[in-house]
Amino acid sequence: MTPAAEAPAHLERYTGTPKLMIPAFGAGALGILATLAIFFLTDAKGAAAHSYLLAFAYWVGISVAFTIMVAIFHTAKAKWLIVLRRTMETGASVIPIFLLLIIPVILMAGYLYPWWPGSPLRAGITGLESEHLAHKEHGYLNWPFTLFRHVIYFSVWIFAAWKLRGLSLKQDTEGGLDLTVRMRRFAPGILPFLALTITFASFDWLMSLTPLWQSTMFGVYYFAGSFLSAFCVLTIVTTMARGKDLYGNVVTTAHFHNLGKLMLAFTAFWAYIAFSQFMLVWIANIPEEAPWYGLRIFGAWKPMSIALFFGHFVLPFFVLLSRNLKLQPRRLSVVAVYLLVIHAVDMYWLIWPALTGNKGPSFDPLSLISLVAAFVGVGGIAVGFALKNARGNYTMPVKDPYIAESLRYVQP
Amino acid sequence: MEATVLDSWVLAEFETPDVLVDATRQMREKGFQGMDTYSPYPLHGGSEALGLPPSKVPFIALCGGLTGLTTALAMQTWMNTYDYPLNIGGRPLLSLPAWVPITFELSVLFAAFGIFFGLLGLSRLPQPYHPVFESEAFRTASTHGYWLSVPHATGQDAAAVIDQLKALGATQVTVVTGEKE
Repeated sequence: MTPAAEAPAHLERYTGTPKLMIPAFGAGALGILATLAIFFLTDAKGAAAHSYLLAFAYWVGISVAFTIMVAIFHTAKAKWLIVLRRTMETGASVIPIFLLLIIPVILMAGYLYPWWPGSPLRAGITGLESEHLAHKEHGYLNWPFTLFRHVIYFSVWIFAAWKLRGLSLKQDTEGGLDLTVRMRRFAPGILPFLALTITFASFDWLMSLTPLWQSTMFGVYYFAGSFLSAFCVLTIVTTMARGKDLYGNVVTTAHFHNLGKLMLAFTAFWAYIAFSQFMLVWIANIPEEAPWYGLRIFGAWKPMSIALFFGHFVLPFFVLLSRNLKLQPRRLSVVAVYLLVIHAVDMYWLIWPALTGNKGPSFDPLSLISLVAAFVGVGGIAVGFALKNARGNYTMPVKDPYIAESLRYVQP
Repeated sequence: MEATVLDSWVLAEFETPDVLVDATRQMREKGFQGMDTYSPYPLHGGSEALGLPPSKVPFIALCGGLTGLTTALAMQTWMNTYDYPLNIGGRPLLSLPAWVPITFELSVLFAAFGIFFGLLGLSRLPQPYHPVFESEAFRTASTHGYWLSVPHATGQDAAAVIDQLKALGATQVTVVTGEKE
């Protein structure tokens, strides 16, 4: 018997989208309009700009992380996850929409980046610091080179996601081992480029909010949080995909156990990266680096830093240690939702101090509204676009030569 | 002089891991207890077929890890603040961030000790002698044989057990009797 013949024969292409997709697009459009309205019509321009950047970096990070995830699993020739792979590919296929979603970031860039031409924030940088900034602007932080870098980032991401998903979709009709071989050859080749682009993108979007501060580890920090969130999204989607013609019906507890283990691993990885970056800066204590952390670990941001340590590491780590929890999809999904929320808090902790400095987190209505509106806005468009891409395709790679092995996967 | 009570096992070899797991499950359903499986590599579904309780090793590892954590924190606190206080670049004597790497390493080390020695202890290893070592046929368990051992009361006729194992697909069955230690 060929492996493909063992795959469930009743599975049809996915059609049940509009009920979710239309509200997602609607909420997305409203959210983005609300954020832009706050930016253009009120004085809370900084809050609107930073909220939008948070939402953008949050969602595009997850999408790029999905691309990296697919590439890593192909590189490792892993078979257990094949039943989940289509969801990762759909998550990766969202990247092109971020070419549109980055436009508001460009519109508001003057209120985000002191190095942006004509930025009002430039006035806050004086004396020797302005010379340091001019030095950085000369070689790197100028808009022509930034534009050029973004062309490369998005080309690499869209190419990788399109290629990996395209071969996989082709296999749905053609089947055969040679397409698997092509995916497995392509994936390791593109991985170094994905690693470099997400690193430099995080430098450009997030680290250059404070252009005089630098950390070579920053890209890994952003990647760690995004990758963990991508596993959380995958867990939630898989738990929800139990309906007609969906792959959730054939996913076993062994798959959920693995997802839980990966969530645990990347919770620990995030903590490892976060602490390594912090300790190197803390122990060196040199003037160029220390203020970034000084702002966050003393004064108004101290409670949030402590909350992140316990909320992003200690609590989820010990909760995810439980084997029973990882075997129960619904309870694991609750942890996944929690981790997605705490990742948003982590992004807030990265971005917001650049806006308010030692005044701490903002609780004024306009800041809160723009945070929620931007988050729902970018998220709604991204989720809607993912559902649009899922429509008309199988929800798992039905003719992958190893799909049967994936379906009968048990713990080694 | 007291008579030595001897232990006795029926050993059965199976051709494939699937047959072994299936036979194990059926023997357990018939009410046999204290069985064990032997294979050259980890057996898929073996512990489920034997109906083993959850392993105690994770708990021992957690205890080991927490012991390492407290040991490291206590050791560094005592050394750096009391035993040999040293001013390093004006940093406070009690500098928790600087202690995290050692704390982490010691937690991992003690957790690994917990796993290693916990597993040895729970499996009662090392075992210098066991009557089954006398069985020449059983040596295939470390190369290509899949074995099941069924304890049976000494002195009773093992024929019934042997017949059942053969019915389940055993290619060869032997009875081993002797003193465990």
